Amino acid sequence: MDFNFQDPFTSIGELLRGLLLGWGLAPGLVSLILMLLGALVLAGFAMTLAGVFLTWLDRKLAARIQDRLGPNRVGPFGIFQPIADAIKLITKEDIIPEGAERAIFKLAPMLAVMSAVGIWAVVPFAPRLIGTDLNVGVLYIVAVGAIGTLSIMMGGMASNNKYAMLGAFRTVAQMVAYEIPMVIALLVPTMLAGTMGVGGIVEAQRGGWFIVLAPVATLLFFVSAMAEAGRAPFDLLEAESEIVAGYNVEYSGMKFGMFYVAEFLHGVTIAALTATLFLGGWLGPGAQQFPLLGLVYFAIKTAFVYLVISLIRFSMPRIRIDHLLAFNWKLLTPLALAAVIVTAIADKLAPALGWNRAVVHLTANILLAWATFEALRAYARGIRQRVEVQPAAVETGGAD
Amino acid sequence: MTLVQILFLLFGLVTLLASLMVVTSPKLVHAAFWLILALAGVAALFILLEATFLAVVQVVVYIGAIAILIIFAVMLTRRVMHDTGPQVNRSWWVALLVSLVLFGGLVLMLAQVPALAGTPAPLMVDQETLLEDLGRALVDADRYVLPFELASVLLMASMIGAIFVARPPSGSEERSGER
Amino acid sequence: MSEQEQSTVAEPLEVHFPQAVTPDERKGYQGYVVATEALPEVATYARDELGYDYLSSVTGVDYLPEGKTEVVYHAYRTAGGPALVLKVQVPREDPVVPSLVGIYPSADFQEREAWDLLGIRFSGHPNLKRILMWEGFHGHPLRKDYQEVYFEAENKPFKNRWPEGKVYRVEEKAPLKKNVQYPPDFTAEGWVPEGDAALYAGMGQVVAAEGGNGRALNTDQIVVNLGPQHPSTHGVFRLVVTLEGETIVDLEPVMGYLHRNHEKIGERNTFLMNMPYTDRLDYICAMGNNFGYSLAVEKLMGITPPERAEYIRVMMAELTRIVNHLWAIGFLLNDLGAYFTPALYAIEERELVLDVFEAVSGSRMMCNYFRFGGVARDLPEGVLDVVRELVHERLPRKVDELDTYLTHNEIIRARCVGVGVLPPEDAIAYGMAGPVLRASGVPYDVRRADPYSIYDRLDFDVAVRYNGDVYDRYIIRLDEIRQSLRILEQVLRDIPEGEVQTGKPQYQVRVPAGEAYGRVENPKGELGFYVVSNGKPNPWRYHVRAPSFINLTAMGEMCKGQKVADVVAILGSIDIVLGEVDR
Repeated sequence: MDFNFQDPFTSIGELLRGLLLGWGLAPGLVSLILMLLGALVLAGFAMTLAGVFLTWLDRKLAARIQDRLGPNRVGPFGIFQPIADAIKLITKEDIIPEGAERAIFKLAPMLAVMSAVGIWAVVPFAPRLIGTDLNVGVLYIVAVGAIGTLSIMMGGMASNNKYAMLGAFRTVAQMVAYEIPMVIALLVPTMLAGTMGVGGIVEAQRGGWFIVLAPVATLLFFVSAMAEAGRAPFDLLEAESEIVAGYNVEYSGMKFGMFYVAEFLHGVTIAALTATLFLGGWLGPGAQQFPLLGLVYFAIKTAFVYLVISLIRFSMPRIRIDHLLAFNWKLLTPLALAAVIVTAIADKLAPALGWNRAVVHLTANILLAWATFEALRAYARGIRQRVEVQPAAVETGGAD
Repeated sequence: MTLVQILFLLFGLVTLLASLMVVTSPKLVHAAFWLILALAGVAALFILLEATFLAVVQVVVYIGAIAILIIFAVMLTRRVMHDTGPQVNRSWWVALLVSLVLFGGLVLMLAQVPALAGTPAPLMVDQETLLEDLGRALVDADRYVLPFELASVLLMASMIGAIFVARPPSGSEERSGER
Repeated sequence: MSEQEQSTVAEPLEVHFPQAVTPDERKGYQGYVVATEALPEVATYARDELGYDYLSSVTGVDYLPEGKTEVVYHAYRTAGGPALVLKVQVPREDPVVPSLVGIYPSADFQEREAWDLLGIRFSGHPNLKRILMWEGFHGHPLRKDYQEVYFEAENKPFKNRWPEGKVYRVEEKAPLKKNVQYPPDFTAEGWVPEGDAALYAGMGQVVAAEGGNGRALNTDQIVVNLGPQHPSTHGVFRLVVTLEGETIVDLEPVMGYLHRNHEKIGERNTFLMNMPYTDRLDYICAMGNNFGYSLAVEKLMGITPPERAEYIRVMMAELTRIVNHLWAIGFLLNDLGAYFTPALYAIEERELVLDVFEAVSGSRMMCNYFRFGGVARDLPEGVLDVVRELVHERLPRKVDELDTYLTHNEIIRARCVGVGVLPPEDAIAYGMAGPVLRASGVPYDVRRADPYSIYDRLDFDVAVRYNGDVYDRYIIRLDEIRQSLRILEQVLRDIPEGEVQTGKPQYQVRVPAGEAYGRVENPKGELGFYVVSNGKPNPWRYHVRAPSFINLTAMGEMCKGQKVADVVAILGSIDIVLGEVDR
């Protein structure tokens, strides 16, 4: 049998299909088995890559930033530390607190992991290596993210603990709010690509990555997705110094481990999505011929975005809940709407003017960003004047 | 029985059971969670009908927003959360009657549709154009732009109303007493 | 200042209140003895007319032989100057003293403490209940006739604490039997836990059972215990918080989980044996605690340390201040959610300072370095060079680094500016001390206002900021580090050679009868030691005015109306150490 080394994934798939058909199984069943197998491989890949390697990298990076050494005992450079941690978590006692809603309490961590891994179904890792290229892929991402919100809320509510309850309150306020700019920002690549399918969006970036065409939307998506996933500085739902651990305070053992993995995978997922939707996904020189190379490009881009998220996490204090919501409703949401409008106009304008599409979009985005900064500066100036005028007004009798 | 039929029966049963639990479960929070299961069941049925868009929207809007807000509201008032009062009040029979009439009407109406008389043919829709068609239908003046805009005005009005009700009374104590 | 002018006009206390106020005539004592019922009137006069607006310390002494209990008040002018010491003497059988909470809110916790430990009832106190011991504890342990259950009581169940060489914990043998008061109709078997309302009834919390905030749409208020086990309470400390959503409606600190009755231990020990115990008060600033205690006892003994020892003491105290402020800033940022990065940056230099402490005293944190009339031993060779390098190179760089990274950070500003504001008049009234007081715009620093040691000869500014919010409390700590560095530069320049100890080192010091109040500007605020000696080897009364403890008085006031996240920021900005709060 000829094995196509340029495109190993399709070949392996064909090989397996042939093998199973050879055993005399029905074609429908074979397809089902292959799909399940694919999901297993995908989830396993996600778990291994993110759960082991990226955790370790994350911790090493944190340690370097914080002037420490980080894990350095288990394996070379401590690389097996996450495995040791996982073993520890598995062997811990599994506690369900008194008065908890048992079924919901148990269901929550499962849903959390499910929502984090579920998004990977529509992420194209390499050409022709995609779980399912849904035509509503972008909306699917949002929908599965909503299940993540639900899981955190279920965990918080079912724990019968006030910190968990507060965490759940914050979850709802934060996630429902940040879903809006995220969805609107997702409209921009959809409009640019002319499709909601994630595979199509990647293909559409051959002419230029969307971070060039829509930098504002990229930033908006990145920020609101970070908030949606509860990464620092938006980690209010589990703010350690305030509400101890928020929604997962009562969880122990592997249930906690699942929440931990879910949170981690969620971070990776954001990175993967940002890479896919705005950084060209698997696109890169030679990726079309050698899908494996596409996978490497994708992994590099994802890791890069993830490390940016980590950097932010280790260098920022936490935002307060009212600032967080004000930031969303007063800045991100209007800006996202403006970005959509600007993109729509620029897209129609570009053929009319006969200019390069990228140039028009970039110019429009820069104008938008400039206008936003000016508006913010005027707003800040207004506040400062109000603050500074007041004492003077008292002394001089209102010499405004 | 094909796989799709088995799945349909399964999801249909789950949806029905969950809806039943919504109205019978003694704790309000449990009812809210059963509601989520029922909505998820409906989303699954949409997928079986190959209406992925509707399914995803169902999850985003109903599970991701509405159900979560319901639970949130219940959580904020903990007395309601622990409330285990009787499930029915005096006019339960009216509600039953209305739902039965509605159900009967629906069955009658669906019986008129000729396509439902025989075995349904598998739906053959081009997924790409379906979505586009839906989008165009909503903004086409000849089709559904009026209902669409009406609905948005209605939602806007209710949003303003909600903000008005929830806002703390401006300063005075006696106004809050009146309300 | 108008108070100053008034104080020159107003007549002294004994002239204004000829019947009620008499000078304390006892040998070694100072201040005035005030008639019990006239106390509020005298205090009001002292505050309004004489300008003693800052009530530093309230405590009691149980004079068992004389059969009376004395309550001692130390009040100061924030403009500076010596103390006004007021005393009230009441029979020790049923001591009742009018409460001064209405006049000096800073008396709140201190009067509760005096009730708790000495059984002095303060009539008119709004919330007089135990503060350090647990509710239901039997007796008042600092009364001289109090006998420790099981070990000092008449019928001892055990001969000693380790019968036949085996250690038993008391509660294993007889769990809380005689040591807890139950209501008469209480049976442990029939008891069922009650709801929140009953649980917090004693906490001064308003849990509206029927709910609501008077608005049309009611949401429930929930009571949350922040602590005793909580990452941001800096130890075992509890804040009972009533929440309306995320907003604080009411807050009350609950403390005493780490209580070990430091003062009782102090009264059993000889004078010198207490020195290592003071290390454990504010364990971040052991040297500063040593300083305060040595000052108090030296006042009683009437000795002063030699010049070199004074310089060493000031050097250690200022290094301690730097250590503490670096720690405070780092962990304030941690409380703001900065995930350890600033904290680890800030305490990098702390380790180097601790190296110095280790070199001079043999221990990094529990230094036990000061002695009455000097310090334990001279500086080892090379320490001065290390300190010089730190003071001239590393520490200024670290302060600038923190300044660069943190001061203008947008999130930090948003989280800190305008949060937990304490106006200057409130700060004085609540007896706040140290950076918290000075951040509110009150330039009151014991090193300037009532100089001790060689501080009157050193050139430094009292750091002061005017907004009284968390941000100013952060930034004033940077200012104070810079001032400390200035002081250290002068100390390093001028430190003379010579003896480090007056007289021979001795284990048993002779302390003449009398009382003394020694206070120092510790990093966290004014640390005072009130020591009464009756000529015996151990102090008759040993009281600590702990700045962390008294600074918590205003906690509830600062937090009301703020968000949950602000509570930890405010607590972090007050900078408490539980070893000192609970004592």
